[in-house]
Amino acid sequence: MDNKLTPARRKQVIRDNVAGWLFTFPSTLVLFVFTFLPAFIVIGLSLFDTNLVGQSDFVGLGNFRQMLLSGDFWGSVLRTLYFTVGSVPVAVAVSLLIAVLLNAKVRGRTFWRMGFFIPYITPLVATSIIWLYIFNPDYGMLNAALHFLGLPVSRWLTDTVSSMPAMVLYSTWHDIGFAVIIFMAALSKVPTELLEAAQIDGASGWRTFWHVTWPMISPSTYFVVIIYTISAFKMFTQVAVLTQGGPVDSTTTTGYYLYEQAFGQMHFGYASAVSIGLFVIIFLLTMLQRKVTGRKVFYG
Amino acid sequence: MMTMRQSVFWNRVTRVLLYFSIAVLFILVVFPFYWMIVTSLQPQDAVFNVPPQLWPTHPTFQNYIDAWNAAPWLRYFGNTLFVAVAATLISLVTSSLAAFAFACINFKGKEALFSLVLSVMMIPAATTLIPNFLIIRTLGWYDKFYALIIPFAASVFGIFLLRQYFMSMPKELWEAAQIDGASRLRYFRSIALPLAKPAIVTIAINSFLGSWTSFLWPTVMTQSQNKQLIEVALNSFLGEKGQQWSQLAAASVFTTIPIVILFFFVQRQFIEGIGGGGIKG
Repeated sequence: MDNKLTPARRKQVIRDNVAGWLFTFPSTLVLFVFTFLPAFIVIGLSLFDTNLVGQSDFVGLGNFRQMLLSGDFWGSVLRTLYFTVGSVPVAVAVSLLIAVLLNAKVRGRTFWRMGFFIPYITPLVATSIIWLYIFNPDYGMLNAALHFLGLPVSRWLTDTVSSMPAMVLYSTWHDIGFAVIIFMAALSKVPTELLEAAQIDGASGWRTFWHVTWPMISPSTYFVVIIYTISAFKMFTQVAVLTQGGPVDSTTTTGYYLYEQAFGQMHFGYASAVSIGLFVIIFLLTMLQRKVTGRKVFYG
Repeated sequence: MMTMRQSVFWNRVTRVLLYFSIAVLFILVVFPFYWMIVTSLQPQDAVFNVPPQLWPTHPTFQNYIDAWNAAPWLRYFGNTLFVAVAATLISLVTSSLAAFAFACINFKGKEALFSLVLSVMMIPAATTLIPNFLIIRTLGWYDKFYALIIPFAASVFGIFLLRQYFMSMPKELWEAAQIDGASRLRYFRSIALPLAKPAIVTIAINSFLGSWTSFLWPTVMTQSQNKQLIEVALNSFLGEKGQQWSQLAAASVFTTIPIVILFFFVQRQFIEGIGGGGIKG
């Protein structure tokens, strides 16, 4: 093939190849060193008992066995699931409500939308600090407001039972704007003819929502559910700032457990095994997301 | 059947209820920001008041002065700005070059390389944190700015987005440029890049925000005080100040303001980037 090319054409092919590889080289190098390579190293590390400084013993699959038998690991997975089950339905319901309200041809929509979105872009550390003050059981705003409304108060972050609900409240507040935007986009794509047809047939607003809008936006709902579940498994910063996993591990999610095992306890081999466990969980969720959003759920 | 007048009446009630619900939800969501500002203006002893005062009766700027003087914030701002700008600029250069090659140049192994690059998205950062700590130390970058910049000098999202833009440009544009004697690099610089401006802005915002709000990575990869980024420094400040809420709130305000200002300028672009351009504001 190649020898049929004219010299000028051949020169062009060589130049294309050189340019192609040259242009892609910087990105590829960075991705290779800081993502691909680590993915292999983490597998290697998971087979050792190591503190990365001096001591390093080969333990085979010992770390994985330890992980699967560890009450702390499964506890962290259960707490992450508790967080997910507690936060995702609330986030979906509230963000959908906000999106539906804003889609009802309201004035100043850009302004409202910006208000609902702004927590999402503000840093977790800075906003966690003010929530720490709001959650304070003795002089915080939240208990003051509940007391004012005649509702029962709580110890919030300082109690093993109420710490996770408080974490859910903060995280939902911080992340809800993303889902609002996704739902607003989805709602604006529901054909108005369908809604009008339902109305002409005499369907109430509520029935129109359940039988027309809700099925039409189902791909976005699944997208939001999976994205929020994945981010729950990665959750770290708010735990580090608000509770450091406490009180008594009650907010130690898998993301925080991994960090604590590695950089707190220096169990880098064991923590690598947990990293791989986390990868498997996130991988399965991502696959689920692809399958679901790829198939578009409703559009068939 | 309702009379016309009744229907107008109920319409009006619905509108009032609608705005009322939006306003209530809106106040609940923005209240913590209001509370952050109010607390930052309260004298320290007033923050323990039960019930809390919704409005500062003796507002003072002293908390800002005290908080600002309690730590080398200027240094932290400088560090964060430097790291964020450097990472953003470098990743824009690397991603646009790669995206251009993937979209417009025929080279051997292109498809395979592109799938490989995309597969990177499957590997979560939480999984690579420990080996990266090892790699950064092996490279001798521990506690150096390299560790905060170079690992973020490439963006799969950026490559993907820009490639879409470059691919959608008509082939005739490149042919015309060749006839005019433009080199590939010149075509890339003066024609392709300016056309991809919306994508470039989206990538830049994402990268900048990512660096500015990063916490876990700089916590792990740096140690000395003069290398700290703003969010890590703010968390240490929380550790030092314990319950001095008015100073903590003041520091939260002045570390968050640059992000909020940036957001006001780019909010439409940013929000439409997330919503897929489906919303008209």
